Amino acid sequence: MSPPPPPASPTFAEQLERLEEIVRRLESQELDLDESLKLFEEGIERLRAVRERLTAAEAKVKQILGEDFDR
Amino acid sequence: MGAGSVDLFAAASAEGAWTVGEVTRRARAVVEAGLPPLWVRGEVSGFKRWQSGHWYFALRDRTAQLRCVMFARENRRLPAAPADGMQVFAFGRPTVWEEKGELRLTVLELLSTEAGGLWQLAFEKAKAALAKDGLLDPARKRPLPGYAQRIAVITSPDAAALTDIVAVVERRWPVAELIVVPTRVQGDGAEAEICAAFRAIGRIAGLDVVIVGRGGGSKEDLWTFNSERVARAVAAAPVPVISAVGHETDVTLCDLVADYRAATPSAAAAAATPDRAEVLDHLAQVGARLGRAVAGRVDLAGQRVERSLDRLAGTMTLRVERHRHRLAALSGRLDALSPLKILERGYALARDAEDRLLKRVAQFPPGLAFRLRVSDGEVRARVAGP
Repeated sequence: MSPPPPPASPTFAEQLERLEEIVRRLESQELDLDESLKLFEEGIERLRAVRERLTAAEAKVKQILGEDFDR
Repeated sequence: MGAGSVDLFAAASAEGAWTVGEVTRRARAVVEAGLPPLWVRGEVSGFKRWQSGHWYFALRDRTAQLRCVMFARENRRLPAAPADGMQVFAFGRPTVWEEKGELRLTVLELLSTEAGGLWQLAFEKAKAALAKDGLLDPARKRPLPGYAQRIAVITSPDAAALTDIVAVVERRWPVAELIVVPTRVQGDGAEAEICAAFRAIGRIAGLDVVIVGRGGGSKEDLWTFNSERVARAVAAAPVPVISAVGHETDVTLCDLVADYRAATPSAAAAAATPDRAEVLDHLAQVGARLGRAVAGRVDLAGQRVERSLDRLAGTMTLRVERHRHRLAALSGRLDALSPLKILERGYALARDAEDRLLKRVAQFPPGLAFRLRVSDGEVRARVAGP
């Protein structure tokens, strides 16, 4: 069989996890202003990306045909 | 027959006597003609399964017993063999087994009269085997993915269960990709196909979760999901398995072994996916926190700048004060160096007509007219002649 290609990295869960981490670090107020602003920019960018992914998505249904695997 | 014959021994000859085969053949014909296929009620005793797969046992009551055989092609349909002592109904054809000269029931159908019957017995047996291998241990259950991207569905390709699953995933989490592995879900071959499907999903890259199941049906229809083989295939799956077989009330072995049991295929799809609306809400909250956090950070920086400026201003004032003192001291010294002060001490400056300072004797030739600057004015003078 030809297995479908792996999903585009990073995964949704990874993106969300990174976002949470950015918020936590920003909230800790331990970074200097420059780092904070850099993180903020990254956060905004990731937020935009996951939002886009969510709103643009349409479920895909694929079928592995019987002859694709041994019985 | 020679029953009315005077000579009882007349038939005791090679010509007159029946052979064993003739008697049993005749008995068989009589029994089969006189006793049509019928249901017999009794207790199972001396059960044996032969290599051939045929079952041999006796049915007994308090006063009699009846030898029974149930051939492999008939007993294959049953979930389990009956146990000795079990009360059963057997449907079969009475006959005579000529080789043994035995009255026998060729059983075509067997029902246990006990609660749940053979199905329950088979279920309990398989369940015990699975439990022995630790496959029912709750600690084995894996958590379901929070944001599944690839979901495999092992089910019948043209049944409502699949339609329901697709609809729920499309509504809740269209981010996901559904990979349908079609199998039969009941009858001959279903068991093998489902096991093969579980092997096949092991080759799907990036798979997050598997849904296996079917809609409701009779106990016999759902039986595939009580197969020990299927249960073991579920247990061996490389990713978490959600099982949804039949309705709420039907709990199968597949359900017990799976990482999560859903009441229906729709519920399975919901368990496999987050709700997009909720995730968007959550993202909005994350965005708000991000904004607040960075605003807080900028405020903090502003406060720091203010504090720094205050400190800076403080040091500047100090510095200015120090400079002022230094200036005062310097101006005092300047004052002391002023030529007028020197002249006040009695010195005088001599200048010629061109206003050049005259500092050495050689600059005073005899007769030279010059001016002397003293503390309060000028005096004209001339060098005395030789």
